[in-house]
Amino acid sequence: MLSPTLLLQNLIFGVLLGSIYALAAIGLSLIFGVVNLTNFAHGDFIMLAMYISYFLGVSLKLDPILTPIIGFPAFFLLGVAVYLAIFHKIIRAPPLSQIAVTVGLLVLLRNFALAVWHAEPKSIPRTLLGYSYRLGPLLIPADRLTGMLISIATFLILHLFLTKTKTGIAMRALADDLDSAALMGVNVRNLNMLTCALGIGIVALAGGILLTFQPVNPMTGLIYGLLTWSVVAMAGLGGVSGILLSGIIFGIADAFTAAFWDPRAREITIYILFILLLWFRPKGLFGRR
Amino acid sequence: MDRRLILAPLISLGVLSIIPPLLGFNNYYLLLASLILLYTTMVSAWNIIGGFAGQVDLAAGAYHGIGIFVTGLLFIFYRVTPLIGIFLGGAVASLLAVAIGYPTFRFGLREVWYALSSLALVVILYKLFLVWESVGGTIERYLPKVGFSWFYLTFPGNYLYYYLMSALLLAATIAINIRIRYSRLGYYLLAIRENEEAAEMLGIDVRRYKLYALIIYSFIVGLTGGIFVLMLGYVHPVLFDSWISIQTAILGIVGGLGSIAGGPIIAVILLAVAEYLRVRFGGYIPGLHQILFAIILMLIVLFKPGGIGEWLDSLWHRITARRRMEVA
Repeated sequence: MLSPTLLLQNLIFGVLLGSIYALAAIGLSLIFGVVNLTNFAHGDFIMLAMYISYFLGVSLKLDPILTPIIGFPAFFLLGVAVYLAIFHKIIRAPPLSQIAVTVGLLVLLRNFALAVWHAEPKSIPRTLLGYSYRLGPLLIPADRLTGMLISIATFLILHLFLTKTKTGIAMRALADDLDSAALMGVNVRNLNMLTCALGIGIVALAGGILLTFQPVNPMTGLIYGLLTWSVVAMAGLGGVSGILLSGIIFGIADAFTAAFWDPRAREITIYILFILLLWFRPKGLFGRR
Repeated sequence: MDRRLILAPLISLGVLSIIPPLLGFNNYYLLLASLILLYTTMVSAWNIIGGFAGQVDLAAGAYHGIGIFVTGLLFIFYRVTPLIGIFLGGAVASLLAVAIGYPTFRFGLREVWYALSSLALVVILYKLFLVWESVGGTIERYLPKVGFSWFYLTFPGNYLYYYLMSALLLAATIAINIRIRYSRLGYYLLAIRENEEAAEMLGIDVRRYKLYALIIYSFIVGLTGGIFVLMLGYVHPVLFDSWISIQTAILGIVGGLGSIAGGPIIAVILLAVAEYLRVRFGGYIPGLHQILFAIILMLIVLFKPGGIGEWLDSLWHRITARRRMEVA
């Protein structure tokens, strides 16, 4: 059963999947690191993004992989709106208030989706990428490969933005020391808003890619919420490459569990890994703090 | 002995015993009322870990599910009477809580990480029981049909008994809350909630007392699972429900952290309203009651962080102050 081909095949699946998980988690990491906000509703934004992709895919006959063209600007604006309406009020609140308010947001988003799209899982009618490349005995699904390429491109752009542009450097300064950054003339409010908008905007990218190979239902949010928090916990804070690496580790764990144990057991492995990580490496594997 | 320790549970039992005649002993309403009391019991138990100790615990669904499965499976497989099974369920829930809680507190998990790992526990158990076919699996396992029996706590078609059991458990939980609140453990927990480092510096064994709070809370929530499964009549992994965790924490926070009366009062009111909304609008807006909970939670946390408990306290102070003035 444990042939090298099968191992390699699932390793490939894991890396492809993991880079998409990383894309889903980077927004959470930005908001948690820079804005210093605990967002329990991140997974439900992913769920919402998947539904929006589904909606655009059905109503405009758009391929889900293309839906972020509309989804990204829409979620960027959604990020601004959520920041102004909710996040902005709890930025300096104690952790418990942040948890409570974003749990409220989680419940709102979930039930909004339940009311609009009902409980049955939804998946897209078709995608142009529903085929696979063959590499000897190995299969490489085109949808996930495209997803990985989009993810890596996003990470590259984000990395350049955070290290080369003035706004990006200011964001990192904010993550390191809010008060000093403010004293140096960083406009904290605008930057926080931009970070939330960017963080939630990127979710639309991930949502479109995820929908090409996974159905969505209102409870998906909880699963992705815990998954993305796991990725952030493993990565620790600081640098975008850590998120990519830890996303890939979770992707591999996911693919191996599905292949060698039971597809339904994927969350068991991921969350046990998450809890063990919190116990033994609370700073994460790749973080600075 | 504190007078409140006797009085508060008796008053709540008194109030609760008026409800069945008011509902005309209608079985359906009694079932709903019993469920509301069980959920309220969870809120009152949550107050110990969440309200006193300040840990945002989201594992209620896990301990509740353990209570369901231990009580239910012992009954199904070995015909163990729920009279014992319910308490074994609570004990197993507590054991699990210690197994998870000891390293969690030992390694200093707090705030968001504590909340996340406790929520993850619910999903882990759900999936574990789904995959573990010999005890869980995807098919419901029904409790044996034994007819009306006190020994097996089975009362087909008569929910009054379950209502009384739930009411007793709630009253006991309120009594435990009061007992803890005015004991050394209670003051320690409040100190931990306010400032963990300061509490530790003053020589409080922070980990130990948080673990005590967790054990008491998980035991009570395990008991609610045992009563719940008797009413439901079957076990299924889907009963490891993350919504129960979230609902319990929401009601606990809205009721006011550390407020003994606030949580149960607001829980009974909101759960009754929720049940009405579910029955009335559930057909076309299935999650309306959850939306209501979410909005109330956000409004309370943003505008009245003390919760209902704060308001109750000030009301109580005003009444007692007037009485004191009259005496003087």
